Amino acid sequence: MERCRSEIKPRHPARFFLYAILPVLVMVSFLVVYPTIRGVIMSFQNYNLYNLHDVHFVGFKNYRTVYTDSRFYEDLWNTVLWIAGSVSLQFVLGFILALLMWEPFKGRGIYAGLVFYPWALSGFAIGLVWSWLMNGTFGVINDVLMRMHVIEYPIHFLSDPKWAMLSVILVNVWYGIPFFAIMILAALQSVPKSVVEAAMIDGAGPMRRLFGIVIPYIRPTILSTLLLRVIWVMNFPDIIYGTTRGGPAGATETLSVYMVNVVFYENDYSKAATVGVTILAILIVYTLIYIKTTSYEELEL
Amino acid sequence: MRKGKRVLRFILLTVYLIFALFPLIWILLTSIKSPMEVYAFPVKYIPSHLTFQNYQRLFNYAHFGRYFKNSLLVAGISSSVSTILASVAGYALARFKNKWILPTVLFLFFAQMIPAYLIMIPQYVMFSKFNLIDKLSGVILVYSGIGSAFSTIMARGFIARIPVELEEAAMIDGCTRLCSLFKITFPLVLPGLSAVFSFSFVNSWNEIFVASLFLNSDNKMTVPVALYSFISKAGVNWGFLSAGLVVALLPTIVIFAFAQRYIVEGLTRGAMKY
Repeated sequence: MERCRSEIKPRHPARFFLYAILPVLVMVSFLVVYPTIRGVIMSFQNYNLYNLHDVHFVGFKNYRTVYTDSRFYEDLWNTVLWIAGSVSLQFVLGFILALLMWEPFKGRGIYAGLVFYPWALSGFAIGLVWSWLMNGTFGVINDVLMRMHVIEYPIHFLSDPKWAMLSVILVNVWYGIPFFAIMILAALQSVPKSVVEAAMIDGAGPMRRLFGIVIPYIRPTILSTLLLRVIWVMNFPDIIYGTTRGGPAGATETLSVYMVNVVFYENDYSKAATVGVTILAILIVYTLIYIKTTSYEELEL
Repeated sequence: MRKGKRVLRFILLTVYLIFALFPLIWILLTSIKSPMEVYAFPVKYIPSHLTFQNYQRLFNYAHFGRYFKNSLLVAGISSSVSTILASVAGYALARFKNKWILPTVLFLFFAQMIPAYLIMIPQYVMFSKFNLIDKLSGVILVYSGIGSAFSTIMARGFIARIPVELEEAAMIDGCTRLCSLFKITFPLVLPGLSAVFSFSFVNSWNEIFVASLFLNSDNKMTVPVALYSFISKAGVNWGFLSAGLVVALLPTIVIFAFAQRYIVEGLTRGAMKY
């Protein structure tokens, strides 16, 4: 303790506070907020790779281009399918996994490590891994299904428009189960065992206990996790980029994949910004609803 | 009944374990098979002999070592920067009480909701003015900025959980505020900060879109960009790509193995991360 005495006490708490938060505020303003505003401006300009020296305002031209193209509506629908399919299955399976892991068993910590690891993996790389597993000619999934006589001929999971969306959703489900399991398992730890046991003594069956006690008890966690996950899945083009890049024939192109494709294949930055602003608008409306339905308390933590 | 339930649980947990691990095991197996056996159908499950030629090609001809080093540099520096800035700001936001706290937290909350790919074009336009395109430093700067908003919220959550009385007690014992910060708070919050670091490291390591847009020359590519270049070239060599995937996935798996406890804690209690 002696050594410490010479050090300075913040004589001006307000200044100390300002200096402490300033670097982050500057970084975030410069690298997140300013680009966001700039993106909105770009969506009203004609910024593209072939037109870098004659950038000017074009009004709503980009919006007209995007919104009159049926591709936008198809992608919007794909986004809905992608979110609804992924989030609901991730949630249900993650919930079941959490329930299975609720009661402690030997090696639960190791088991958690072995099944939760996909959380840390690159979505893009996972997309590539699964496109090898789902390969229509040499894929192991087709091999297993054929050996079990479930199918007679290989399924082209990722190149058949009938199968592609379902296939990428399943990859995302595999990827997202750990997240829900982690969140719900943590919430389950807060459910008092005594209440559940009392219900059991009163003769409530497992389903009654689950829907009558456990789910109401962890409802806030379920709600906020689901709502936040929707945003995250909407803004997660990585897996689709690793598997189909939006193909075949746009069957798996969500809005986020649309935007990335416009950047990398059309090089039309203003058009991409227009799609980006659209996504951002959806994001803001959704977030406001989220904040309304939950409370500030969670931000306070 | 009780025993039957336990057996059922064991079976279900085993099935899920296989489901969770199989993709990784399969890609590992593919990476050490000979090309003949990679492209065999019906599939050959156990390779008749192991070969490391895919890994040799990866590092000798494809310069994967360089991409790996680039990724390590980018993710390491950017997550260090954002963790340091976030712990200082998070400390102030957790320990001070004034009217700026709520607006600042709300500001950071909204900022961290904006995903990287959505603003990469304006960032690209900005950075080309500063001559930061095709430079690792440009990508490092973007990742630090994108990561610091969420890292701050998370660090704040961890710091707020450490009772302020501990610091005050140390100050009564003759420790200054900075001294109590380093001797009392910092050691206690270290696990939390390692979770903050792991989060941003994992995110930076895995990011592909900003990196693909910003980094063009071969010697600047990060691992995800390199993987992308392997599939962009006509015809995917799956044995070779699998070796690349194994090397790409390994670092974040190792991080998760070490920091799992704190990451799980950060996920569930450190506020809003997805």
